[in-house]
Formats: sequence, C-alpha cells, structure tokens
Amino acid sequence: MRFPNLNPAGKSKPRHRRNPNLLTPNLRTLGPGSVASVLKIALDVAYVVMILVTGLLLLLWVASIFIPLDNLNVTVSDGADGREMPLSRPLLLFGLGALTAYFSGFLLILRYLRKIFRTLTLGDPFQPDNVRRLRQIGLILAVVTGGVWIVQGLVAARLAPGVMEPQGISDLLTPVFSVLVVFVLAEVFREGARLRRESELTI
Amino acid sequence: MAIRVQLDRILAQRRMSLTELADRVGVTVANLSILKTGKARAVRFTTLDALCRELDCQPGDLLAHEPGPPDAVDDED
Repeated sequence: MRFPNLNPAGKSKPRHRRNPNLLTPNLRTLGPGSVASVLKIALDVAYVVMILVTGLLLLLWVASIFIPLDNLNVTVSDGADGREMPLSRPLLLFGLGALTAYFSGFLLILRYLRKIFRTLTLGDPFQPDNVRRLRQIGLILAVVTGGVWIVQGLVAARLAPGVMEPQGISDLLTPVFSVLVVFVLAEVFREGARLRRESELTI
Repeated sequence: MAIRVQLDRILAQRRMSLTELADRVGVTVANLSILKTGKARAVRFTTLDALCRELDCQPGDLLAHEPGPPDAVDDED
C-alpha cells in the first residue's frame, strides 16, 4: 500500500521504505537482514557446491574420452535379475555429458537467482535486469526439464527397456507449469520496474 | 513532454540558485534538475505547493502547456 508523501522534506530515493516489508512483526522479507538475505546466503553455499560438482563432472567427462574401457561393463537391472552390457565409449560420454549438462543448467539457474537475491537484499527488487534474469531462468529450466524428458525417453527405449520407463506427458505437466509461472513472474517484475521508474520520475 | 516547467526564468527573477531552492523545498538538486529539463513524468501537489511557496508564485507561472504531439514514452526493458 502506498502512503502519500506528507513530508516534502523527505528525500525520495528508491530505497526509502515506508512499508517495512514485514513477514511477521519481527521478520522482514526484503532488505538487509531479512528472509531474503538468509536465502541469498543459502544460494551462495549451493552455488559453490554446484560449481565443485559440475567442475568435477566436467573433468570426468573429459577424462572419459581417454581412459581405457576394455573390461568395464554396466549392469542394467531392476533389482531381481540384471543384464550386463559392455560400457562403450559413446555410452559413457553420453551419460556423463548428460549429467554434466544437467548440473550446469542448475548452476546457471543458481547464478541468476543469486543475482536476483542480491537486489532483494539491497531492498530494491524492481530493477530491469531482474526481468531479463527471470526470463533466462525460465528458459534454462525449460531446456533442462525438456532434456531430462528426452534423455529418459531415449534411455528407456534403447538402453534399459522394461527397467526404466519413459516419462509420460503427465510428467511434463509440473515442469511446464513452473516454467510458465517463471515467465509470468518476469512480466510482473517488468511492470514493477515500470512503476518504479514512474515513481522515480515523480518529483 | 508537452508541459514545460519554467524554473530557469523564475529562479533568475528571484535571484535564487537551484541548490538553494532544492534546500528550501526539500527536494534533491538532482530531482529539481529532472524537473527543469523536462524529464519528469509527474509532479506531486505537495512539491508544487512547496515550489510556489518558496518562489512566491502561482502554478501557472511555473508550468506552461505546449500543444502538439506528446513525446515518446520511454519504457525500460
């Protein structure tokens, strides 16, 4: 709720908050020392972990181009009886590559989320950059979940028929919904940025 | 914008600087400058009231309307 500016001596700048953004009487959602700052710290930790994991996977993937594969087999089983398959190089590269791509996707999403939460910690959410970041998050999410659907379909059809089921259309429902919600949020932020700009240019 | 704010003229007449007016009105010099150069989107009545009070003038002395097509609205992406 916008309060009228009854005090003309107050300097107007975007971070001047009359509404303290309270989640509960003692807990703020935006600005320094708020829920958003706690989440930002959690995102920072997750980001570092994800960098390490993705870096490791990337190294493994590169290494798998060179390591000898003569006696390595991979077992495809659903618990009861298994089927041994020789581990071919294309298979190994495909598997590790898919895994690396999956984690890289989430690494990118975390990177953008961190930047968004940095603006939230500053208490200035409606920056135009956040619109772009949210749209990119939506795009990466779409690519990653679509990729998972396709890869799982491939694995189920070619490599592990009967053991792994391909994902049905209904499995796509939640990811599609999430991606659409993210894009709608991006437009909400665009409108917020527009309002903020209007407010900045209201003397 | 088709509404012009004629601060320069009145400031010269009152022999006041922009900084001094900003102090008296309680608006930053940057904001007054935005007003002066015609980049402002809106003016609050409270600000207009303070300006008229400090410059001892009427709103009509400050604001002029220039008929014609409105300027393009710039939207941030």
